[in-house]
Amino acid sequence: MGFLTDATLCIGCKACEVACKQWNQLPMDGLELTANSYDNTGDLGATTWRHVAFVERFEDGKPAFDQPPFQSGWLMLSDVCKHCVRAGCMEACPTGAIVRTEFDTVVIQQDVCNGCGYCVPACPFGVPDLSMFDGKAHKCTLCYDRLTDGLEPACAKSCPTDSIQFGEVPRLMERARDRVTELKRLGVDGARIYGDDQIGGTGGIGGLNAFFILTDEPEVYNLPARPKLPQDETLPGLLSTLGAALLLGAGMVFSFRKR
Amino acid sequence: MRHVPEPEGRRGRRRPPTYYGVPPIHKPHWKWLIISYFFLGGLSGGSYVVATAAELFGTREDHDTARIGRYLALLSILPCPILLILDLGRPERFLNMLRVLKLRSPMSLGTWGLLTYSGIATLSTAAQAARDGWRVGPSGFLRSVPGRFVGALGAPFAMFVGGYTGVLLGATAVPLWAKNARLLGPLFLSSALAVSSAAISLILALLPGQRHTALDRLRRAETVASMAEMFCVAAVHLNSGPLGKPLVEGRLGRLHLAGSVGLGILLPFALHAVATRLRLPHRPVVILASLASLTGGFIMKYAVVMAGHASADDPAATFEYAGGRRRLPIGEESAPSEHGGGRPR
Repeated sequence: MGFLTDATLCIGCKACEVACKQWNQLPMDGLELTANSYDNTGDLGATTWRHVAFVERFEDGKPAFDQPPFQSGWLMLSDVCKHCVRAGCMEACPTGAIVRTEFDTVVIQQDVCNGCGYCVPACPFGVPDLSMFDGKAHKCTLCYDRLTDGLEPACAKSCPTDSIQFGEVPRLMERARDRVTELKRLGVDGARIYGDDQIGGTGGIGGLNAFFILTDEPEVYNLPARPKLPQDETLPGLLSTLGAALLLGAGMVFSFRKR
Repeated sequence: MRHVPEPEGRRGRRRPPTYYGVPPIHKPHWKWLIISYFFLGGLSGGSYVVATAAELFGTREDHDTARIGRYLALLSILPCPILLILDLGRPERFLNMLRVLKLRSPMSLGTWGLLTYSGIATLSTAAQAARDGWRVGPSGFLRSVPGRFVGALGAPFAMFVGGYTGVLLGATAVPLWAKNARLLGPLFLSSALAVSSAAISLILALLPGQRHTALDRLRRAETVASMAEMFCVAAVHLNSGPLGKPLVEGRLGRLHLAGSVGLGILLPFALHAVATRLRLPHRPVVILASLASLTGGFIMKYAVVMAGHASADDPAATFEYAGGRRRLPIGEESAPSEHGGGRPR
């Protein structure tokens, strides 16, 4: 199961953020304002599992008034854990706390996580984070508890414009392709799917179970265009270290050998 | 609708568009505990390897080198589990690391590697202590332990403990580390061997007696390791391209160049060269050079970890590494609230 988050339908109401926090009993992030647009959470984190990004675009300091339709100058996107097909956090986790569930989602088992924090830099999207409340890593569970009861995730349920849609990934992907075709017909040339391995939004990750429809390049929404799976470097790194170990070992033998 | 014409010729001066400068990835929380572990783990693994090389291939003069190496290997690995456990968000759950072995997770591999190495290093040191006349534990059994065989068995694990930490940094989304994933392991390993040769030299020089031959051989070992480290540092700089800015610019860059390279690698070379030419007394030179080498080794690990933090905090670095078409000037302060502005629609 997964999410299709369609940025062209997002109105920035943050119902998803609120519903997520309510259902998952996540504390607020403080009463600070970022002073950046209407964004007051700033980033995904241990207590923010949906984050609505507000991208205001300016032409030389002034808003652009001459705009094509569908959020060309005022972009909103509800960001979330991508539940990657090949998940960096899960491969990094040394305790096996991060697992793939029967719904094909990626969940951190809170009774196993020991807060080593390795999943935090191992995620190419900056999703999981350590909580200062309990020292453990947290991220979106795709409402695992709701799924087991046959309910859809809280954010998708609360989204008033169906910008967040929940369902089976192949079906959602089909819907996303149709939507992109439709958007292009309506003149949104930049419309694209982010998270489809065929279109190439997500390089070595093999696709995302929570994917997006964007109207501009991913970086505009603070998403990396071609993230790589960090663990693909484990074996090459170990092999080069083995090579170095052999050379240095020979060097040590040479240093101590009788002459 | 009002149309605001775009003034000509101003596009180039715009600062890079990012999402309000918010980093697209999260940096790790690793600070002093982990940096100290990287240093001490390297020191221990390196000492074990040097001791084993001295024991297997050295002469009578290298006897003390091997002995000090064995004791140093155990002493420097002792604080490591404590540092690692203290760093956990939930230290009481440290045993959860032993639930699984995951071949693609360097931290999981490291857990098991460190565990195995600690066991072998403890056995080697205990056997050394028993041979040195300490009557602690089953000294009869420990004296019968084939020290050379155990040393040869433990050396690969010691090498692993010295180098895997670099691989662990490389297998993340942090641009500077990930870009150098194949170089950080060799870098950390060569540094580990350099600092441990220096540490053993330091202790030998502080002990009474003439130890010219042993110190010369250790000097040779340290030179080999330092040259390898220099090669790796240079390779990291060449390989990083614009991602390497945190390692050369600003306070951290100055610290890295002066500390890791100047103090840790070049100064010991220079000291020994000058001392040989001017026939300076051997002992103080060795002490000074070893201290420089040890300090430089620590600074190198500090600099690599902190430069990774800076790299993770720089959106332009992540966008450069996770290669879209967008190329932003790396390391510049990004302007708030100017997004994709000025691009023709």
